[in-house]
Amino acid sequence: MDKSTIVCRCEEINVDEIETAMKNGAETFDDIKRLTRCGMGPCQSKTCLNPVREIIAEYTGKPLADIRISRMRMPLKLVRMSALTNGSEGGNVASVFGESVEDGETNDE
Amino acid sequence: METDLLIIGGGPAGLHAALTADRAGARVVVADESFSLGGQLRQQTQWLSNLPGQYGYGKKRGTWVNEQLINQVGASNVQVLKKHTMIGSYLNGNIGVSDGDKTFEIQSRKNIIAPGAQEEAKVFPGWTLPGVMTAGAAQILINREKVLPGKRAVMVGSNDFSLEVARQLNSCGITVEAIVEEKNQIICSDGELVKTLENVPVYTNSTIEIVTGAGEVEHVVIQTPDGLKEVNVDLVCIANGFSPILEPFEIMNCHFVYQKELGGWLAAYNIHLQTTNPSCYIAGNAAGITDFGSILLTGEIAALSALEAMGFISSAEGTEQKSRCWRELANLESEKVLQARTEMLADYHQKHELDLPDYFMKIKGGKMYG
Ligand SMILES: Cc1cc2nc3c(=O)[nH]c(=O)nc-3n(C[C@H](O)[C@H](O)[C@H](O)COP(=O)(O)OP(=O)(O)OC[C@H]3O[C@@H](n4cnc5c(N)ncnc54)[C@H](O)[C@@H]3O)c2cc1C
Ligand code: FES
Repeated sequence: MDKSTIVCRCEEINVDEIETAMKNGAETFDDIKRLTRCGMGPCQSKTCLNPVREIIAEYTGKPLADIRISRMRMPLKLVRMSALTNGSEGGNVASVFGESVEDGETNDE
Repeated sequence: METDLLIIGGGPAGLHAALTADRAGARVVVADESFSLGGQLRQQTQWLSNLPGQYGYGKKRGTWVNEQLINQVGASNVQVLKKHTMIGSYLNGNIGVSDGDKTFEIQSRKNIIAPGAQEEAKVFPGWTLPGVMTAGAAQILINREKVLPGKRAVMVGSNDFSLEVARQLNSCGITVEAIVEEKNQIICSDGELVKTLENVPVYTNSTIEIVTGAGEVEHVVIQTPDGLKEVNVDLVCIANGFSPILEPFEIMNCHFVYQKELGGWLAAYNIHLQTTNPSCYIAGNAAGITDFGSILLTGEIAALSALEAMGFISSAEGTEQKSRCWRELANLESEKVLQARTEMLADYHQKHELDLPDYFMKIKGGKMYG
């Protein structure tokens, strides 16, 4: 396939940019995400997750079952800043504040 | 806000679970991000067979079942929150929802998460042009929005769902110019459905080479074993299968497993449809891509488990009802999916050193996988 073909439509990241990230050491979806913004668009990788996993599997020669999913963060869906702050006393959203404790953990069964 | 059972997702699995829990006297809240209930059932005009006994025997239209579910929920004590999206969780474990204006937590004793599945994209040069969409999106346009997505179409994929959508496009006056299948034969198992499309050229062992057009789909080049075929169309539908929705489960700290036949990665669960987070149950296509009857039954099993855990029904009743549901599910579900599901359950129970109930061993007349 033509290397200029877009894979992550939200962030307009193409095959070449994903492979370049892997040449530079990226091994997981999250590595590629941090290097390219692939998966950081409005759909939060709903569309590009599996196409990117397939590219990783092909590039590394690993079976697809071994290619992990991305780490998903809050908010799960697009939401206005005002909606996050309006009337949200009581309890903290666990978001980035709460999850630093889990860094490095994976949710593998 | 406070409730006994919070259900995320008001598709068929979530609604069926809600009705089950309501009947047992639990307070139930259903939150759905959409402005109407029914999820993907809203545009399924096709006939569904293999429904659980309580829907009566014989085929029913998906939209008819949807109306039944919505009417029953309307007549029940279930509290429905439309246009409420689950966007995260709180440190105390409660689910946070947003209605677009404000975000608040719902304090629940148990949750059932039933957000459904997503359609898989397929990447080829030109797939981001307007006019390329999933088969499900085209079905939403014709059946729900009453908008024609194009005049001439190419369907990529030949599974039951894509041929059903191709048939529906045809009956709306859209000419399906080609069906493109990368495998060596049509995947669809429904002979009658295949027959309704016998005038449409089918290209097996074939893929989309490129889609081009000035700002929208105009031209499609198909790579076939006999060389390149070109068609002029304004619609390309992709039917590349479905995969379970994951992110609400990740936010609830549920663990994931990979099971190809269930749609790839999904939240792991035990025979009670309980995930690794003891307060979160799973139901519907999120628990594995399957047929409609099994979608309803997983909702029912999840609800029965939650009711049992909260003390609304006795454990004897829970066991009896769940054993009935599993027996029915084992009869309805396709062999491949059932095998993957029971293997995953057996692995889960072994790993977490949980006993499997006797009824599990009896599923499929004593045939146990895993
Ligand atoms: C390349 C591509 C092009 C596409 N083009 C189009 C297009 O042109 N037009 C189009 O309409 N679609 C398009 N789509 C596809 C589209 O996103 C899906 O096919 C379909 O619209 C999803 O339907 P849904 O949101 O109703 O249900 P689902 O996403 O299956 O959800 C199931 C139910 O759970 C609810 N739910 C899920 N998560 C939550 C949550 N966190 N909180 C509360 N409730 C929740 C949902 O509201 C729903 O009722 C495209 C997709 C791709 C990949
Ligand atoms: S397609 Fe990659 S983030 Fe949406």
